[in-house]
Amino acid sequence: MWVSWRWLSRWVDTEGVDPVGFAQRFTCTVAEIDRLKRWGFELDAVVVGDVVGVAPHPNADKLRLATVDLGDRQTTVVCGAPDLRLGMRVPFVPVGVTLPSGIVVKDGEVRGVRSPGMLASEADLGLSDNHDGLLSLEGVVAPAGTPLPRAIELGDVLYEVDNKSITHRPDLWGQYGMAREVAAMLGRPLLPLDVTVPLGQGAPVQVEVAAPDACPRYVCARIAQAKVAPAPVDARLLLRRLGVRPINNLVDATNLVMLETGNPLHAFDARQVRGNRIVVRRAAAGETLTTLDGQARTLTPRDLVIADAEGAVALAGVMGGQNSEIQPDTHEMVLEAAAFDAATIRKTAMRLGMRTESSARFEKALDPELPLVAARRFLQTVLAWSPGAVVTSDLLDAGPCRENPPTRVLIRTTTAYLRTRLGVTADELPDAWIVACLQRLAFAVEHTDDGALTIGVPGFRATKDVRIAEDIVEELGRHYGYGRIASAAPLIAARPPFTSPSRVAERAVRAALVLQEGMTEQVLYGFDHEGHRARLALHEHDAPRLGVRNEIAKDLVRLRRNLAPNLLAAAEQVLTTGEGKEPPREGLTVQTFEWGRVFVPSPPRADANDRERAALDLGAPPLALDLDRVGERQGWFTLMDADMRDAVQGTLDADRPLPWQPLRLGVVCGERLGGGAEGSKRVVPERAASQRVFGQALSAVHAAVRALGKPPLQVVPHADVPAAGSMPIAAPDWTTSWRHPRRCVALVTTAGQVVGLVTLLHPDVRNRMQAPAELAVAELDIDAVLALADAVPMGHAPPRQVGSALDITGRIAASTRQADVVAAMTRAIAAAGLPLEQAGYLYEAAQADGSRSVTWRLLCRAADRALVADELARILQVAQATVATFAPVGSP
Amino acid sequence: MDSAPWQADIEAARQHWLAATAGCAQLTALRSVQVECLGKNGAVTALVRRIAEVPPADKRAYGQATAALKAACEAAVAARHAELEAAEVQAELDDDTFDCTIPPQAALSGRPRPTGHLHPLCRVQHEVEAVFSSMGFAVLDYPEVESEFNNFEALNIPSWHPAREMQDTFWLDNGLLLRTHTSSGQVRALHTFKPPFRAVFAGKVFRYESTDASHEHTFHQLEGLLVDRVVSVGHLLDSMRTLLSAILRRQVEVRLRPGYFPFVEPGFELDIQCQLCGGAGCSACKHSGWLELLPCGLVHPQVLRAGGLDPAQWQGWAFGLGLSRLAMMRYAIGDVRLLLGGDLRFLSQF
Repeated sequence: MWVSWRWLSRWVDTEGVDPVGFAQRFTCTVAEIDRLKRWGFELDAVVVGDVVGVAPHPNADKLRLATVDLGDRQTTVVCGAPDLRLGMRVPFVPVGVTLPSGIVVKDGEVRGVRSPGMLASEADLGLSDNHDGLLSLEGVVAPAGTPLPRAIELGDVLYEVDNKSITHRPDLWGQYGMAREVAAMLGRPLLPLDVTVPLGQGAPVQVEVAAPDACPRYVCARIAQAKVAPAPVDARLLLRRLGVRPINNLVDATNLVMLETGNPLHAFDARQVRGNRIVVRRAAAGETLTTLDGQARTLTPRDLVIADAEGAVALAGVMGGQNSEIQPDTHEMVLEAAAFDAATIRKTAMRLGMRTESSARFEKALDPELPLVAARRFLQTVLAWSPGAVVTSDLLDAGPCRENPPTRVLIRTTTAYLRTRLGVTADELPDAWIVACLQRLAFAVEHTDDGALTIGVPGFRATKDVRIAEDIVEELGRHYGYGRIASAAPLIAARPPFTSPSRVAERAVRAALVLQEGMTEQVLYGFDHEGHRARLALHEHDAPRLGVRNEIAKDLVRLRRNLAPNLLAAAEQVLTTGEGKEPPREGLTVQTFEWGRVFVPSPPRADANDRERAALDLGAPPLALDLDRVGERQGWFTLMDADMRDAVQGTLDADRPLPWQPLRLGVVCGERLGGGAEGSKRVVPERAASQRVFGQALSAVHAAVRALGKPPLQVVPHADVPAAGSMPIAAPDWTTSWRHPRRCVALVTTAGQVVGLVTLLHPDVRNRMQAPAELAVAELDIDAVLALADAVPMGHAPPRQVGSALDITGRIAASTRQADVVAAMTRAIAAAGLPLEQAGYLYEAAQADGSRSVTWRLLCRAADRALVADELARILQVAQATVATFAPVGSP
Repeated sequence: MDSAPWQADIEAARQHWLAATAGCAQLTALRSVQVECLGKNGAVTALVRRIAEVPPADKRAYGQATAALKAACEAAVAARHAELEAAEVQAELDDDTFDCTIPPQAALSGRPRPTGHLHPLCRVQHEVEAVFSSMGFAVLDYPEVESEFNNFEALNIPSWHPAREMQDTFWLDNGLLLRTHTSSGQVRALHTFKPPFRAVFAGKVFRYESTDASHEHTFHQLEGLLVDRVVSVGHLLDSMRTLLSAILRRQVEVRLRPGYFPFVEPGFELDIQCQLCGGAGCSACKHSGWLELLPCGLVHPQVLRAGGLDPAQWQGWAFGLGLSRLAMMRYAIGDVRLLLGGDLRFLSQF
């Protein structure tokens, strides 16, 4: 909203104040100023001219020659304005003048005719962007030749206030409200609005307020013998620079008074008020009304209309109807100045997409006393602008407000409390200052010597804005100046702060994965991308996902239930495009992870209550801390006021438990299998590549669990995984289209609970990728891992004996799991009573016949003695014999 | 009528190539058959071209016959291709030579370890959390799907309140919503902790808003909340100055100006002195010397009540810090969409 410094200065003495410098203070005290504009300066050389002759241009159809009387001389210039006519008063710009718009007036020829000067439009003078015609100075009394700044009101500083910063201040939607703030800031008196106007007798029309809940006040008056004409030039320019297009004196008067008081007005052509009757009522379902903008609107019973005896003539508080608007020949009109229910107007305006100057103000909840003031200001303005007009009725005041004015809002507090909340002393902010400041802002203040205050809130602040002592703190704080308040450190007992386990865990895991595992951290959207899922055939079979009612894009309609799909999309992108300038090469790897929440809509299960709590309450401290607060609280419900209780009741009745939002760790590792142009071909991954990406994903999960200080998870091959139904409900989904049915493992706790999985990508999904690549996916349920007991390391003394390492190589069938061989060797050596500390896989080589030649290392050590060569030889023998039992069929 | 000699040729070609196609056991073999048959110099392609040598009377019939042959071969290749692909996938699925028990280190041996990268948002979030933690603030973590009550009502934003429009909300089909601000955690914290307390909680927030270089439908915030017996504007100023100096790693001058947020009273916009010009005024701060950084204020009594505290006994301050914006400031990121876009080429800079 624009604020005019010149306009404010009508009510408050701004002498000696630099409005440009004042803007910073205004921003810190009242509302944020987005932009500041100087208007109508540097026009001293422009003078008033009377057009005394109009002649055609000899060489151009669209140009004419205007002879202008400038008081002491006459001159003839070329003019292209279509509205040029004899007898007009216009601004004349002499030769040699540079206008604020940048136009330089030269003594030149226009199409062969000399033109020593120019007649100017508003745009030429930099007063607005309107260059439809000349600025008409009709009605200006100064003699021809008078410099323009002395003939009309020029020179203004405009503030553009951020509308968002005044949504809670209905009073600031009028210039007078702004003037009140400026007066209070300057400590100077604010002149009252002059509302004296001669009224007539009797009712203007019959008025019935049939929807009193939506229309607390409806004020009406009738004016006769008005004449439609342009408004005075000063008013037109004022409207223009505040962003309103001038139309005619009657319509402009409604707009001017709206800008001044903040109360929108509407004027009906009295001839069109059928039956001489106005009804304020809810619209009938399906009722239609064509508004001033020419649009036919279909209404609902939630909309409020102004109707005459036959039908709707205006959409209350939003826009007038076309059927009753002011016409060029209007001479008698009915004025409406009303107060409407804010929510009703807001909903109608939103539903119909009609945010007008009027609805923007009504939806802020205007003071119901304001229409009485606005109506009188309007009548005064019309009488001034339309000589001969008379008010032929009394002011009719309808609506429930007249009988039952709103209860006065009274705030009882103390000056000491107000000072405490601001953090200032009585020396800094004496009682007298507090009282004076509030009075300047039009609060009624009763003050006793002990500092008790009873503060009556003025109507224009009482609708929504000021209700409690804290609101008064704000009034005082902003006018005192927040910058003058001394800092004070809060005093809180020093205690170690609680940190949510999930936050501690995240720090540990990301450090391990980024620094140890060399992975890149991702933070991705909480929405699934349906287009991407469809292309790669990614789905969780029938597992439901949470839907969004008002999606922002057609692909973003559901919340993610697993982290894998979005991570796969990101990995696919870099595997396809490569890392940077070079084309993607074979062997390019990606290793990424994301720590984030997923959303499982399933209804809670009784046995899962604790886990659900864990998933939702990661921010909560341990129970012991929690118990401390018992006895400190009152029932929270009884503390609320009635409005809020109703709202809460609605929410509680709906009884909607939150869905599970478990924290997960998602990992995707991939390797590109072909480079360059070859890369577009489909490739079946070599086993070594598959083992690598799988190993990387598995390694990441182990690193994460270790970083969390939990015991290692067991890696259980797919065949040994319990049925899906026995898995905890919030664990990652086991049955998905991207899980490879064989090349996957479950991650299982010692208690047998599945908490995650690692899998190669299913070939069907992999083959749909834009790049030939092998990928592995891991997903781990963090809530479940955090619930495990910590693995506390044991401080055993280091062994005294040096151990011996034996490497053993043997051929095994391709389908044999090496871990089974290790287990068998370990059992056999133990059965033979030989000391073996550890047996582990070292490496392998593929054989031509498809079998594998694997090397293991056996670490042998006895606690109490060095091993002798004979023992080592026996261990080797037993091991070799065991490995031989795994030899592929038919091998020598 | 006797059949023309070319008819036998076509029939022979048909039988030969359909058999050859069916005989392919590998996709590579099928590809070479495809080239030999339908390629630029393929046998069927050559037959098609031989129309020039056919007598004019036969041209029409010859043309039709070779077109049918070509179509049949193409269809056979395509069908076989699909079969082989399916067989290949099936073979992969049946293959049991993958050993999931090989230790990861062994599977990866010989590969250089890549360099990892921290996400810029998480870097900033952890830095800020560490600052708060060091000053005695609890660091919390709250859900992203929230109830209307926690996101709006408890924050003094009842359903008729115009602020609900300023917060364009994603609604879920279960009647819940995606939190529009981290302030939704305020009432959770109030209910959980014994006052006095102080806490921060950060995370994703969601707005129904079309995206551009400076707008995202998902971004990150950090909420701060302090509750004590007496909390004044002076305390807020002190806390903000201290915390922001620690976060921005330099002495920060702050100013408060009126701002409207239903859950604080008084409410403020907090500006920091422009770091480029030191307050003298430059283009970055629109010549005001100040940059708008965060909204804050004294906790509204209604919010304390919703959190189960008696406002006659307890007071508080709260603020909301835009982590996405902070990350963009710190790392000179020009487009907010890069943060959650997942592009690894972007992330590898951090």
